[in-house]
Amino acid sequence: MKFSVIKAYFIKEYIELYRSKVIFILYIMPIMIMILFGYGIKLEVTHAKTIIIDNDNSIFSQKIIEKFLHSKYFNTKVLQISENEALKSIKRAKTDILIIIPSSFEKNILHNQKSEIGVFIDGSFPIRAITMESYVKGVLLDAAMKTATMFGKKMDGLITINQRALFNQAMRDENAIVPGLFGLILLVAPAILSALLIVKEKENGTIFNFYSSPVKKDEFIIGKLSTAFLLYSSAIFLLFLIATYIFSVPFRGSFIIFWFVSEIYVLISISIGLLISIITNRQIVALVVTVIITIIPGFLYSGMLMPISSMKSESYIEAHIFPVMYYNHIVYDTFLIGQGFSSFKNIEYLVILIFYALTILTISYTLLKKEMR
Amino acid sequence: MLEVKNVTVRYKNSIGIKNASFIADKKEIVGFIGADGAGKSSLIHAIAGVIHFEGEIIYDGFSYHSPKEAEKIKQNIGLMPQGLGLVLYHNLTVKEHLDFFTSLRGLKNDTKLKEYKRKLLHMAGLLEFTDRLAGNLSGGMMQKLSLICTLLHRPKLLILDEPTTGVDPLSRLELWDILENIKHEEESTILMSTGYIQEASRCDKLLLFDNNSIIADGKVDELLTSAKDYTYEETKCSDECFSFNGYTYSLKPLNAKHKKPTLESLYFINTLKRAKSIPNIEISDRENIIDIPNIVMEAKGVTKKFGKFIANDHIDMVLKRGEILGLLGANGAGKTTFIKMLLGLLPLDEGELYLLGKQIKSGKDRQNLKNKIGYVSQHFALYEDMSVRENLIYFANLHKIPLRETQKKIDRLSTQLGFKNYLDSLAKELPLGIKQRFSVAVAILHEPVVLFLDEPTSGVDVVARAQFWKLLRLLKEKWQISILITTHYMSEAEFCDRVVLLKRGKKIVDDSVKNLSKLNPDAKNFEDIFLKYYRKF
Ligand SMILES: Nc1ncnc2c1ncn2[C@@H]1O[C@H](COP(=O)(O)OP(=O)(O)OP(=O)(O)O)[C@@H](O)[C@H]1O
Ligand SMILES: [Mg+2]
Repeated sequence: MKFSVIKAYFIKEYIELYRSKVIFILYIMPIMIMILFGYGIKLEVTHAKTIIIDNDNSIFSQKIIEKFLHSKYFNTKVLQISENEALKSIKRAKTDILIIIPSSFEKNILHNQKSEIGVFIDGSFPIRAITMESYVKGVLLDAAMKTATMFGKKMDGLITINQRALFNQAMRDENAIVPGLFGLILLVAPAILSALLIVKEKENGTIFNFYSSPVKKDEFIIGKLSTAFLLYSSAIFLLFLIATYIFSVPFRGSFIIFWFVSEIYVLISISIGLLISIITNRQIVALVVTVIITIIPGFLYSGMLMPISSMKSESYIEAHIFPVMYYNHIVYDTFLIGQGFSSFKNIEYLVILIFYALTILTISYTLLKKEMR
Repeated sequence: MLEVKNVTVRYKNSIGIKNASFIADKKEIVGFIGADGAGKSSLIHAIAGVIHFEGEIIYDGFSYHSPKEAEKIKQNIGLMPQGLGLVLYHNLTVKEHLDFFTSLRGLKNDTKLKEYKRKLLHMAGLLEFTDRLAGNLSGGMMQKLSLICTLLHRPKLLILDEPTTGVDPLSRLELWDILENIKHEEESTILMSTGYIQEASRCDKLLLFDNNSIIADGKVDELLTSAKDYTYEETKCSDECFSFNGYTYSLKPLNAKHKKPTLESLYFINTLKRAKSIPNIEISDRENIIDIPNIVMEAKGVTKKFGKFIANDHIDMVLKRGEILGLLGANGAGKTTFIKMLLGLLPLDEGELYLLGKQIKSGKDRQNLKNKIGYVSQHFALYEDMSVRENLIYFANLHKIPLRETQKKIDRLSTQLGFKNYLDSLAKELPLGIKQRFSVAVAILHEPVVLFLDEPTSGVDVVARAQFWKLLRLLKEKWQISILITTHYMSEAEFCDRVVLLKRGKKIVDDSVKNLSKLNPDAKNFEDIFLKYYRKF
């Protein structure tokens, strides 16, 4: 293996990336994903635009409305409009939540009769809607109960929903989402780059320089992959800083473990790209294939949307086929828990990842042929 | 010594070359000649060890049967594949290319190598352009850069697939000096395919390819004897024959005087033998009769600068109705740049441009002209992954030709231009000659008034080129089309009505071919005239 050949490829790739400005896209993309998703997939809803129509105008209803007015979760307006008008405003996405307090609400409660509060929620984003719904219920029931006690009434039996689980716990979504994004970003981006680096040469014809020269397969692979590897190794640090500074995610574990496992993971990703570049001949095809086979598992099995343990059998097995789950487990541990290698599972998963990288690299190395097809 | 034994290359559903065998010695230049798609490139790829093949190849006592086994001799091999700038990285400069290949080949960058690099750069005319990106070089300059990158490690087995396609006459001469030099100093074996007849005659030995096999080998004279019986003075004839440029080739004996065959004769005769006839190019009358002004294009003081570099320096040019104007000049002289400005692909820095009597000042002025101009670019510009038919339909659509009419047109053009059999092949699978005819078909689909052709015949075989020129003549006569064409085949310059010679962005000659021949009575052919003017100015 000649170091000079590897170096030549390495330098060439960087010059090309730099001159074609692609390097900036490569850097911006991961950062964008992290920031967009970090802010974007927030499960928490704040300042939901809320309209309350109070048909009762009693002390009881005032107390409930007050709760809404004082909550950061709602931007509440009490309006005297018709139900229809209010519903239209939801349709036009001007309003998220509509609450209607029926007349003689207070009277009913005080007479121990059931009373129905109407709640309408904009359902265009189901997850958001569910969240808002539970907030509303929480506030309503909480307020109703407190006010009832004030009136010297007990509302046991009428209220069965567990408010605490819904509400009181201050859950930070950033902590749940942001570490999971590492597994997505570091799977997709390096794979795309490494696939394109090779397929580009096939498409342009410059691959002949490799075919017809004494350059060895390993020299070629290392030259190409080290480009992508180095670029995304530095991205690891950048992403880490974004997670801890911008999103203030706590970091409780060992940085060395986090860093090491991330490097292994990037290696897996670029090997996947290498494998794809061997079987495709056009850049656009390579791009699409890479995106499909990295983004989907990167999302589904990241543990962000659904914990792996609660998956059904097939997806449970699939989750174990892709590397995301193993990596994310360790990443979540280093960020939020910090058990490190005192947990056997972390060691086991790290070994699996290393094995994973070696396997794909070996397969690609064997499949790569210095000849036209 | 190189020994090729029974080599066959197969593709998925076709054959590249069948049972090729030949021997090449040290210090020998072997020329591969023959029609497009005859199997030259396939054999070249097999010998260079970049494609799977059957049979055996022995180089210098080392035998190999597959690319894998060929790995050991690759440090001795230099391969330049066919195609414009195929092995170049468009975002690297000329100098960076040389550095890259130096490392790739594990060469020591000592004074000797530096001196050699200088020499190569000088030959390629790139010495002053070492900091230019490969993507900004002219087509011929790219070709020459690829070539010097291949020569850098002084390969003992040099394999060149049409290295001189698109390279100007002067550089071709210099290239041959370098080849001769390497041949003697390194005792190299050189294999090269070429479409230039003069080059073929300079080879020590020729292999003649046809129909995916080697059909003859030997010295030029030996090959020519086989053609004697079929070659006549130009005369009228009916079947199994073909006439072009003063010659008639016929498989059946003719009642006419025999003429001494040239290497070109071999191409025609072989095509006749294989296909029995060479389809006659025809063209039907224009469907839409239109008024064409007397002067179709006029450029006044047109100038283009790239940074400090002046690519076109105050060029005046006129193109008349029904005229074929040859735009000649060395690589990098500014021909493509000029055509690109005519087309609006590059903005003018200075000067005025009139097309069909209208001054062109902005893109708006071009709106109505689109349908009147046809263009074939130097780099193949159609969709490689679509079939020929799909490409034609697509472009017809762009010109808003109704589908029914398009079908008829495709049918007619493909028959008349002789690529009907290829209609459903993917564009990337076509032999070059067919590709070019198909490019022209696309360019004339909408029956333009003027055609701008940038090296349409580069890399196209002799027969296809003859056909191509017949087509141009017909277009001119029947459609009154004006044609501006660039070429590096000086023999083709003689088919033009008038030629313009550019040198370093300046116009140095603008005259009819007849006049130029009169002015230079001692010149044997147009190449001599070209070289004379080029050296003089
Ligand atoms: N975008 C660009 N930037 C810088 N220089 C350029 C650019 N495009 C062309 N040139 C230079 O302009 C000169 C003329 O190029 P052009 O392509 O017109 O040559 P040409 O006459 O067509 O040559 P060839 O016969 O090789 O095709 C060359 O030196 C080329 O390197
Ligand atoms: Mg050109």
